Amino acid sequence: MKPSDHVIIVGSGLAGLAAADILSRYGLHLLVIDDNAHIGGQLLRKLPHAAAADKRFEPDRLKRQGARMAARIKKSNVQVLNGAQVLGIYPEHILLVEDSLGHVSEYRAAALILATGARERQLPFKGWTLPGVMSTGAAQVLMKSSGILPGRKTLIGGCGPLMLVLAAEILANRGEVLAVLDQSSAGMKLKAVTAGPAIWPKLLEGATYLARMAAARVSMKQGVRIVEARGRNQLEEVVAASVDVDGRIVRGTERIYPTDTLAVGYGFSPNIELPQQAGCDINYSEAKGGWFVDVGDAMQTTVGDIYAAGETTGIAGAGKSFIEGRLAAWDILKKRSVVDRQTYESNARPLMRQRSRQVQYGRFLNHLCRLQPGCYADIPDETVICRCEEITMGTIRSQLKNNFTTMNGIKKATRGGMGNCQGRICGPVLFDILSAHSQRPPEAIGCTSARAPVKTVTLGALAKMTVSTSQDDGNKCSN
Amino acid sequence: MNKPSQTDVVVIGAGIIGSSIAYHLSRYKLRVTLLERGDIASGSSGACDGLVFLQSKKPGIHLQLAMESRKRFDGLARQLPVPIEYKETGGMVVIEIEDELAAMQQFVKEQQEIGLDVSLINRDQARKLEPHLSEHVLGATHSPLDGQVNPISLTLGFALGAKSLGARLFTGAAVHDIDTTAGKVSAVETDAGRFEADIVINAAGVHAPEIGALVGLDIPIKPRRGQIIVTGSCSPMLRLRHCMISAKYIAAKFNPEIAKVIGEGVSIEQTENGNFLLGSTREFVGFDKRTTPDGLHRIAAKTAGIIPALKQVNVIRAFAGLRPHTPDGLPILGPVDDVSGFFMAAGHEGDGIALSPITGELIAQMIATGKSDIAIDAFRLSRFTVESEKVEVSHV
Amino acid sequence: MSDLRISSVLRGAKINIRVNGKAFTAYEGETVHAALLAAGHRVLRKAPKTHQPRGIFCGMGICYDCLVTINGAANQRACMTRVEDRMEIEVNET
Repeated sequence: MKPSDHVIIVGSGLAGLAAADILSRYGLHLLVIDDNAHIGGQLLRKLPHAAAADKRFEPDRLKRQGARMAARIKKSNVQVLNGAQVLGIYPEHILLVEDSLGHVSEYRAAALILATGARERQLPFKGWTLPGVMSTGAAQVLMKSSGILPGRKTLIGGCGPLMLVLAAEILANRGEVLAVLDQSSAGMKLKAVTAGPAIWPKLLEGATYLARMAAARVSMKQGVRIVEARGRNQLEEVVAASVDVDGRIVRGTERIYPTDTLAVGYGFSPNIELPQQAGCDINYSEAKGGWFVDVGDAMQTTVGDIYAAGETTGIAGAGKSFIEGRLAAWDILKKRSVVDRQTYESNARPLMRQRSRQVQYGRFLNHLCRLQPGCYADIPDETVICRCEEITMGTIRSQLKNNFTTMNGIKKATRGGMGNCQGRICGPVLFDILSAHSQRPPEAIGCTSARAPVKTVTLGALAKMTVSTSQDDGNKCSN
Repeated sequence: MNKPSQTDVVVIGAGIIGSSIAYHLSRYKLRVTLLERGDIASGSSGACDGLVFLQSKKPGIHLQLAMESRKRFDGLARQLPVPIEYKETGGMVVIEIEDELAAMQQFVKEQQEIGLDVSLINRDQARKLEPHLSEHVLGATHSPLDGQVNPISLTLGFALGAKSLGARLFTGAAVHDIDTTAGKVSAVETDAGRFEADIVINAAGVHAPEIGALVGLDIPIKPRRGQIIVTGSCSPMLRLRHCMISAKYIAAKFNPEIAKVIGEGVSIEQTENGNFLLGSTREFVGFDKRTTPDGLHRIAAKTAGIIPALKQVNVIRAFAGLRPHTPDGLPILGPVDDVSGFFMAAGHEGDGIALSPITGELIAQMIATGKSDIAIDAFRLSRFTVESEKVEVSHV
Repeated sequence: MSDLRISSVLRGAKINIRVNGKAFTAYEGETVHAALLAAGHRVLRKAPKTHQPRGIFCGMGICYDCLVTINGAANQRACMTRVEDRMEIEVNET
């Protein structure tokens, strides 16, 4: 069993890095665990480009800071486990971890920071499982991690700021963007002015992206929803139509976009599985992107010495992640008396103020991506909702009629959420469908439980692991 | 929803037992109200495997009930409104060490005397039936009658079947109080309203003691945790024909002392969807439904020891269910002495799925007609308050 | 035939992989799913019940749609695996 004076940080995105950066400066023993091959999370993925072609001055200050933090950590004596997944967290702060070689072992922590980030939300449409239809994030990762365009001509759909970021990235890589179809209306975006000062740099950034679209003559549409993806064995064309104020498809406005690549995304949802499995309380809020980990002002969860930071406590973008990682780090330093109260206060107080501005920005972000309850009525019966188990909307509708109106109920009645992804993709969709149907409060609908292993692991790896908490004093069948 | 409602029978608990009872009662045209504090199958019935195993039952009334129950599954598969995925796959009890071989030889004899179709086979015969078995296996006992079912589908089938026959089903309806007048039940108070009834059935599984306490009864049911590993779907690459348990499983079930020395046994079931359900542990940990690293490790090591090909398979989830354990390993069924109209139907510990058809049938029969085709006096609650010498299975 | 590889990217060493027995070029550091896409393989498997074609979806290891066989091991997430020289990949396109 590894030593117990470690602070273990799960997730090396902006929040995890920010925490590691501060904690390492005070000489704490740190272990950073991330399931990707490199630290930096989704935001900081980057491949080297030939210098001449590299007009890649990063306008985003946070990304530059993040890159510098990543570089510092690589040079420091912070232990980093890449390609590793945390399968579960047990009392007292014991982590079950599978490393990149497939070996499972236990680690004990003195304190834990869970910075597990977010995943994209989706709004299913007929044919969305066809090869060629991918998430916006997938298209980004292909370019940022492997240097490959998602397709020759990419159609981008959904809602949220990631669409324009993707479009700009594709153009910068000399790919083509067929069009950007934004489901949200111009009106929703105008509400930006009420979102507070945190949004102004983002508005400027957005304006730069719009200018690039205009220069490349990329067609941009507002209030247009993806209706269907068609093709025999892979994507060949996409049908999109206008939506009304309730998000309902306006029949007769359908248009066909011939393409073999469609990137879609509808905002983000916090990755709460690991904190939930660890026993941390979760809560629901549309303003935070759905179910999120409940934290106090200093990022403490409801389980002692476990902190959560970043998108996992509520979707609000990179700024909040950077602040929360640092807040968690400062509280750990204070609790261990590594810094005195004054030092803590002078660092944490300003961060807490900045945090509330970012949370406000988050409200706007999530509002922008809000899918109206009426959206789900337009999904045809034959549309797959649970991709893993191939459960259709029709099956879900018939079980709703049988009064299965909670997440656990619909899961038992339809098998939705029981497949390989354990509800990561379909969970938020199912929740929204149940909400729209029953109009009951979130706690009544519930969230499915998260159990270890929260990521898949082979049975052989579990069979071979060494367990320090073994109760079996007889037959040791493992070898 | 808050006015008193007229019903003949209130069944508390929409797990497999309560739902089966509600279904069978409804077939007798009795007015049934099925109350569930969570969702259908949100308790132990939704956290278990689906083995319908005769070989693991104690020879005697237990096995007799199980044999009768098994015969009902084909009919239920036709009648119930949900596909229950019942399959008579045949079952194997896998023997791994010499000590087990001797014990199983004896056990098989007793089972055969009672009329169970079971036989002892050697390693070669076992591996012919099931090529994926490890070569270290010494042999097995095999019965063509063992099989499996989908426990959640079966519970849903019973509940929805009851509904289609006129029963009322209330979820999110926790029971707060049971009214009695002069030693007779008269009504049940719940979140969903008050239900007046002359007959109340306690089918609340591991929570049966809480319900019993509402009428002053002491019900000796304790939760016994079983952890289960779920794999991704493996068909068609890896398809087992039989469901199986290890010989240790039988020993551990009846004598926890043996389990402590040689380890608990395991069960291996492949569902229709192709996923493996690999179990299990047997732990007295109160109502803690968490899985543990040690439990996962032991189940993984032992099941991979029996079917080595499982090592490459992906584990997608694990969960734990709470078996309702009784001191003598037999369920508590039938009327109780001190409260007229109150019936017990709980404590099936690990056999609830297999015994659900016969339990529902016999309880419904008893209530509708006054007697049951198979006498269930031996299962009464009163057996625990009788001052007599009993062989009690010791527990921690 | 257009190449999806971004020309300005500085890549790792050139290596050889085989997809369904046919040889393709890839570069160290690429993920299997990216290399497959560049090789023109977008259909990676068929869904077990309906046999509908599936390919890349989330690209970050959570959807389990991009499952392929790598060096004989089935059900590997292509997006979470890096290519290696002489890697044998099998996709189910039929």
